[in-house]
Amino acid sequence: MLRIDGLTAAYDGPPALAGISLHVEKGEVLGLLGANNSGKSTLINCISGLVRPLAGRIFFEGADITRLKPHERVATGIVQVPEGRQVFPKMSVIENLLLGGTSRAARPQRTTRLDQVFKLFPRLAERRPQPAGTLSGGEQQMLAIGRALMSGPRLLMLDEPSLGLSPLFVQIIFKALAELNAQGLTILLIEQNLTLTLAYAGRGVVLERGQIAIEGTREMLKNDPRTRAAYLGL
Amino acid sequence: MCLTYNVSGIVNFAHGDFLTLAMFIAFAFQAAAALDPYVSVAITLPLLALLGALTYQHLLRPVARSHALVIIQLTLGLSFVLQNGLLMIFGGQPVRTPSALEASILIVGDIFIRTPQLIAFCTSLALTLVLFLVLGYTETGRRIRAVHQNPQAAALMGIDVPRVRTLTFAAGIGILAISGALLLPGTTIWPAQGLRFTVITLMALILGGMTDFAGVYIGALVIGVAEVVGTGYVAGTTGMILPYAIFILVLLLRPNGLFGRAA
Repeated sequence: MLRIDGLTAAYDGPPALAGISLHVEKGEVLGLLGANNSGKSTLINCISGLVRPLAGRIFFEGADITRLKPHERVATGIVQVPEGRQVFPKMSVIENLLLGGTSRAARPQRTTRLDQVFKLFPRLAERRPQPAGTLSGGEQQMLAIGRALMSGPRLLMLDEPSLGLSPLFVQIIFKALAELNAQGLTILLIEQNLTLTLAYAGRGVVLERGQIAIEGTREMLKNDPRTRAAYLGL
Repeated sequence: MCLTYNVSGIVNFAHGDFLTLAMFIAFAFQAAAALDPYVSVAITLPLLALLGALTYQHLLRPVARSHALVIIQLTLGLSFVLQNGLLMIFGGQPVRTPSALEASILIVGDIFIRTPQLIAFCTSLALTLVLFLVLGYTETGRRIRAVHQNPQAAALMGIDVPRVRTLTFAAGIGILAISGALLLPGTTIWPAQGLRFTVITLMALILGGMTDFAGVYIGALVIGVAEVVGTGYVAGTTGMILPYAIFILVLLLRPNGLFGRAA
């Protein structure tokens, strides 16, 4: 579904990504692991179009999207739930959700998708008129995911969705993600929590200093002692 | 200006010169085709909006990520270009633009109101209301607010951020055509007046705390009233200092603006 060829990116200084090649299969949950600054966020920001790669290509369903602008990538079906949730704090829950479906293609289906989001996260329905900035962290994460779903993504990328959440909310969020995946949504998951990732992802890629250190199925990663080592940055 | 600053992060020092430009274009239409400023606004509005869009696209956007000083320098440069361009075409003599309603006066009881001022008052009030409604209740307004609150997240939602910013800039400059028409009857204009308007606008913006639309509106009211009281009731040059004195006083007491909270 998504194929990345020799992606290299840098801000100032050493490359954040040094020639990464990987692929995401339709319908899978791919876990992206690695210590801080290993290049995980840079990678999905390249896929979203927020960071311009120095070299390499990105293909989505066969089409080269390397040069597309961020909003055009959303239209092709790639949506990111950014790290730290990034909801619009002064807008209500409902307005945040409507903004998620603001692209021309998504607008006619907004009401049906809104119902689906409220069904997935009933808590959001209760909080409809409330400013997003006053929600708890867990509720904000629900909102960020719901907002992303409003544009009808085919590939959902999540950057550390469990960050700063209570165990109860982590459970709710991951149950919802599993449900979405069961409905056919492809998921690319960046997660600090190794156990959590290996519980939900069928396959994983471990990044180390901008390069792929280990790649394999859940079982392979679980049994490979290098996983934990790379993850801890040893 | 509040709108363009908040959505594009650019303080435009040529703001007043765009206003002056709008006024001179209206003056030219009146001189050449006897078009009343209230009528020619139908031409100057789209013209200025287009100019605003082009300015943002080709001059400001390329440097938008640079240091704030670079942007200030650029808009100041633009201010000089506009000023001297007007000077070249229209000369340095102050000019007046007659309007059909210029001399008309409305009398309500003991109160005399010059019609142009009444029109200006009502129109600005209506414009504010329209702005408020558009920002608060339309899809476009929601997108503008999203870009204002978090441009990166807005881009991730599928919003074309550069396009929203260009449109906002076009609207911000386009509105100046209306302001120009409202201010024109009965006032003399000259090419170098732009900076005065820029300074007044900036003061209102800063008093209002830069980002809060309602705050900026009240900031503008404070500056406006101070100016009128200053020139009307205090003798000579001293009176003209009043708005600036109030501005400095407010900033000394409340460095984040009238309603600002410490960052």
